[in-house]
Amino acid sequence: MKNDTHNKRLLREANHAILQQYTRRHFLKDGAMGFGALALGSLLNSCGFNSSNNSNNLFDAANPLAPKPPMFPGKAKSVIYLHMAGAPSQLELFSFKPELAKLDGQDCPPSLLAGKKFAFIQGVPKMLGPQANFRQHGKSGLWLSDNLPHLSTVIDDIAILNAVTTDQFNHAPAQLLMHTGTPRLGRPSLGSWVTYGMGSENKNLPGFVVLTSGGNDPDAGKSVWGSGFLPSVYQGVQCRSVGDPVLFIKDPKGMSRDLRKASIDAINKVNQEQYEEYNDPEILSRIAQYEMAYKMQISVPEVMNINDEPQYIHEMYGTKPGEACFANNVLLARKLVEKGVRFVQLFDWGWDAHGDSAGNAVDIGLVNKCRKVDKPITALLLDLKQRGLLDETLVIWGSEFGRTPMMENREGKVMPFKGRDHHGAAFSMWMAGGGIKGGTSYGESDEIGYNIVSGKTEAFDIQATILNQLGFDHEKFTFESQGRPFRLTDLAGKVITDIIS
Amino acid sequence: MIIAIVLFSLTELIGRFHPVLVHLPIGMLVLAAIFQLILLKQKTASLGPAIHITLLGGMLSAIFSATSGFLLSTTDNYDASLISSHQWFGIAVAVISIGAFILNKQQNKYTKWVILLLTILVIITGHLGGSITHGSDYLTKVFSSSEVVSNNTLRKPIANVQEAVAYTEVIQPILNSKCYSCHGVNKQKAKLRLDLPDFIMKGGKDGAIITAGKADESELIKRILLGKDNKDHMPPIEKPQLSKSEIDLLHWWISTGADFTQKVKALPQSEKIKPVLLALQSAEKNEEIKLSDIPDQAIEKADDKVIQKLKARGIAVSTVSQNSNYLSINFIAVDAISEKDLDLLEPLRKQIIWLKLGNTKLSDQQIDMISSLSALTRLSLERTSITDKGILALQKLTSLQYINLVGTKVTAKGLAQLKALNKLEKIFLYQTSITGTDWNELKKTFPKAMIDSGGYTMPLLEGDTSEVKPPPTIKK
Repeated sequence: MKNDTHNKRLLREANHAILQQYTRRHFLKDGAMGFGALALGSLLNSCGFNSSNNSNNLFDAANPLAPKPPMFPGKAKSVIYLHMAGAPSQLELFSFKPELAKLDGQDCPPSLLAGKKFAFIQGVPKMLGPQANFRQHGKSGLWLSDNLPHLSTVIDDIAILNAVTTDQFNHAPAQLLMHTGTPRLGRPSLGSWVTYGMGSENKNLPGFVVLTSGGNDPDAGKSVWGSGFLPSVYQGVQCRSVGDPVLFIKDPKGMSRDLRKASIDAINKVNQEQYEEYNDPEILSRIAQYEMAYKMQISVPEVMNINDEPQYIHEMYGTKPGEACFANNVLLARKLVEKGVRFVQLFDWGWDAHGDSAGNAVDIGLVNKCRKVDKPITALLLDLKQRGLLDETLVIWGSEFGRTPMMENREGKVMPFKGRDHHGAAFSMWMAGGGIKGGTSYGESDEIGYNIVSGKTEAFDIQATILNQLGFDHEKFTFESQGRPFRLTDLAGKVITDIIS
Repeated sequence: MIIAIVLFSLTELIGRFHPVLVHLPIGMLVLAAIFQLILLKQKTASLGPAIHITLLGGMLSAIFSATSGFLLSTTDNYDASLISSHQWFGIAVAVISIGAFILNKQQNKYTKWVILLLTILVIITGHLGGSITHGSDYLTKVFSSSEVVSNNTLRKPIANVQEAVAYTEVIQPILNSKCYSCHGVNKQKAKLRLDLPDFIMKGGKDGAIITAGKADESELIKRILLGKDNKDHMPPIEKPQLSKSEIDLLHWWISTGADFTQKVKALPQSEKIKPVLLALQSAEKNEEIKLSDIPDQAIEKADDKVIQKLKARGIAVSTVSQNSNYLSINFIAVDAISEKDLDLLEPLRKQIIWLKLGNTKLSDQQIDMISSLSALTRLSLERTSITDKGILALQKLTSLQYINLVGTKVTAKGLAQLKALNKLEKIFLYQTSITGTDWNELKKTFPKAMIDSGGYTMPLLEGDTSEVKPPPTIKK
């Protein structure tokens, strides 16, 4: 009873607020414009001109995250995307360039500098040979540096892309391009597209989870997992690996679980009445969000707790419970995927290597960064495999760009440590699982890793391949916004069939 | 602008009535001819007015048909060579039907001959029209089914591929199986023949299709690589498509100069093409008929009421793709699984092919209820209470390709009960009661399957716990 009067009061307040916003001027304006629009609308409608109604909009406001079938049967059901923010050097990890070693310390030939723009390099820099030893590994005989000793044991499960290229040379726009298909703000991210297209299997958890480590969020900020013009329910949910996984997820002091449930029911009831009056699907979306938030209060802390994992798993991943670190996030990614989360996006900050400090040196900081990620990433692949999940989980490792074969000489000076500048023309990424052919490499850069020679791979191609593995044709997977259909890959992109099994 | 679009759509709309309209003149003109025939035999029959009316109707409908046909030919994309004769015959029918009508009205004595001519023209026009829609071999196909089969027979292995003549032994068989049916002796769509070197180099009505040495610029390769939704894609989407290695071989042959006489060994070979060529020495691999975890045959739509009930229980249900009725079901968000839930699966037994019951408290008794789901290709039962007893019920799942039993109490003996499931490709058995020598036994029991025992360990390396420090000599 008490609840009912309370609900009525809430509804009265809501109606009052609406009426205050609705003035006579609005009424006259809407009336005049409305009739014209109505007439034109019905006219065009009858001629079959209303394309927005029959465009394949997959958004179901009442149940925005319900699982949806892809366009064609895909190999991958979920995605774990490991992004090393800051751009690790391909020349110390995947791209073996013995010729570059011979040029170490020499002046960079002017032909490489003509017409080129760099973030920091000025004048004539010196060439810098590879600062790591390379060896061939596995049955495939792929080259890998000693900086990744664990990953080398699973090399036959991964496909290396050695001719990735981007036209961006600053972190934020390059990250946006990689994840949203444009270096500018405002487009939906890959994870948003995927959850929009496929929903998620577990109704108690968000479909798109973001975990960051390394002390900072990526330079492009939260828009790199934003939903752009897609309904906001598809944006990435950032969870913290220390403390409450989602802020304010606990019930405040003095509020019991029952009271929380009652208040959410009351709000939903008011929203439901609003919906019946206005039929705005966004209200249904709001109701669904409240319900999910309530369920998440139980399910998220449960899945985000790694303390219950057995000791051997902790040893395998190298996790440190209670600390904010990449290893913990990788283990969480496995747990989330196992629980039916569609897309898990990890960002690890701190891979920039300009040589301005020991932590930013390709022979010191980079090596230490590798040591922090090599074991957990390898553990992830092995763990997914033994759980029977690797063939339906697509794992992507990469960054926004690579690094120059020249030593950085910021302001024309010699840097205190060995560093490399930003370089988009040729760098490396890899993919594994989810129908990817392991033990393959695609694309080649030239003898010094400066430009690509064959197998040019752009961000769009990687996005197209990811969508393809999930069962989407990137050219047909569109969302209508501002009067035209948009694609993740804009007007480009080609599925990299060479790395698909 | 809008008016132009409306007009265009209108012509297209009228054009699309052509396949319906054409039946009217055929019927009426033939009826007129039959009446005329009866009239010849029995002079007394009072069929004169009937002939008048049927000829009038036949004439009008013939004119409409010809007009709509012309509009259709301007809007849709048809093979111009096939169309032109149908078009002229159609116009002839329309014109001569006008003549026949007038002659009949004037009681001209030649009317019956004109009607005979008209009938013949109607038959020819109809046949040509039918050939456009159904294909010119539509009628003869009944007799030549053996030819179709011969096209699909498996390629014979080449004894030594390096010694083989590249064109006759590698390239021609590909063209034969995938191209000749439309670009060969019998048919030359777009005036293109691919059965002899001269024709291949000559190209079709749009010019050359091969630029020797430049595969990527060759129309042949371009068409093959076009997206399947593109109308210029070859072979047409409804026909058998080229495999990846066939495309690679064509690409290689053209880029090495499209030579018709040289042996394979005389042509340059990249690292990429070598394994493809070598594969020709073994019998054709069944890469295209590799088991898919989705059955080939279509299935009727599942009962939506049952699906809604499952969804209401928090069970994730969706079809495996937008144009398939096969279902994928996941119990991930269900804590306590009940018989009621499992009962709901039974009516969907034809459609469910992927089922995830992992991490539920599914018991041996309950598993009986999924043994009727005979279409299942993927089944996940990890960390359930299933034991060897429950495995027995899975014997009936003969289509099973993937089974996940991670974290269950299943033993090697229990698993051997599934020996007869010869489609099993992947078996995941991490953290089960299978031990030591059991693994070798299992590999013998399931020789074709990939058996994953899990329990991967990683060595602890010095670098895992230490950091590289900057050398002390460098001062910051």
